[in-house]
Amino acid sequence: MALLADELDRYARQMGLPDWGKDGQERLRAASVFIAGAGGLGSAAALYVAAAGVGRITLCDPDTVELSNLNRQVLYSTSDVGREKTAAASERLASLNPATAIVPLRERIDTCSAPDLVAGHDIAIDCLDTLEARFILNRACMALDVPVIYAAVSGFTGQLSFIHPPATPCLKCFIPHKSTTEKPQVPGCTTGIMGSLQAAEAIKYLTGIGSTLAGRLLIVEGMEPRFDILEIEKDPDCPACGSQAE
Amino acid sequence: MIIYLRSGRKLHDLLKPDVDQYTRHVEMQEGATLVEILGELGIPLVMVAFAFVDGKVRKLDYAPTDGDVITIQSPVAGG
Repeated sequence: MALLADELDRYARQMGLPDWGKDGQERLRAASVFIAGAGGLGSAAALYVAAAGVGRITLCDPDTVELSNLNRQVLYSTSDVGREKTAAASERLASLNPATAIVPLRERIDTCSAPDLVAGHDIAIDCLDTLEARFILNRACMALDVPVIYAAVSGFTGQLSFIHPPATPCLKCFIPHKSTTEKPQVPGCTTGIMGSLQAAEAIKYLTGIGSTLAGRLLIVEGMEPRFDILEIEKDPDCPACGSQAE
Repeated sequence: MIIYLRSGRKLHDLLKPDVDQYTRHVEMQEGATLVEILGELGIPLVMVAFAFVDGKVRKLDYAPTDGDVITIQSPVAGG
C-alpha cells in the first residue's frame, strides 16, 4: 500500500535523505523490530525506531518502573513508577506514533523463551542488562538468522556492534563470559547516545541505506571523549558459532 | 620489550599510569601474553574483558610486540 498523505507529511524530513525515499519508508513500515529490554538503551532505541515509522515493535521486559530508573529511562514519567514497563512504554510510543503497532511482552528472556519471542522479527535490538541474557539472545538470533544490534553501557562508556553470523562474528566471539553482578552507574546521556545509535543501525539495515557496524565494534568513551571503531574477527573456536559450537 | 597499556577511567587506579593520564609503560620479556602481563601488574583478569591493539580487538591470549599500544577494556553489560 502506498504511503498515506499524513505519512508523507510525518516523514517528510527523513525521506529526502539520499537513497531513503518512499521505498525506504515503505520498507520501514513493513518491518518488525524486537527490542529486548525496556531500560535506558531500550527507551532511546524504541523512541527513535517508532518515530522513524517502523511498522511493528515488540518490547520485551519483565520489570516495573522504579524511581531510580528515571535518570535514564526516558520512556517513563514519574507517574509511571510502579507500572509495568511494557504497558507504560506502549502508551508513550503509541502517542508518539499511532501508526506503529506496539506489542508489549512482560517476559524475561531465557533459553526456553528466547526463540519463540524473537521469531518473526526482521531484527533484534539488544538492550539487556546482563551478559547471561545477552548470550541467550545471541544464540536465539543466530538460530533464527535474525541480526542483532548489540550495545552495552557503564558510566560514560558504551559499546556497539551489528551482529549477524555467519557474515560477522557473534557476541561470544569477542565478549568473554565474565559475570558482572554490579548495577553500573549510568547517566542517561550515555544510554541516550548508545540507544540512538542502535536505532540508527536498525533504520539503516531496514531501509537498506548506508553501512552498518557489521564486523566492527564502536567504543564510545564519554568522560575523556573518544570514539574508536575496531575490527572484530570471528573466533574459530567460539563456543557459540565456531566449528566446535555446543 | 616495551609496550604501552592504556585504560579508561574504570581501570585507572589499577593501571597506575606513568606516561600520561591513561597510559603506563611496561617492560616485559618477548612472548609474554596479556594474561601474564596483567598478572604481573596485579590487575585482576575479571576486570578486563578484552583489549584492542592497532584497531583490532584482541583476546587476552594475545602476545604483544615491542612498541604496541594496548587499550584494555573492562566488562560492560549495562542496558
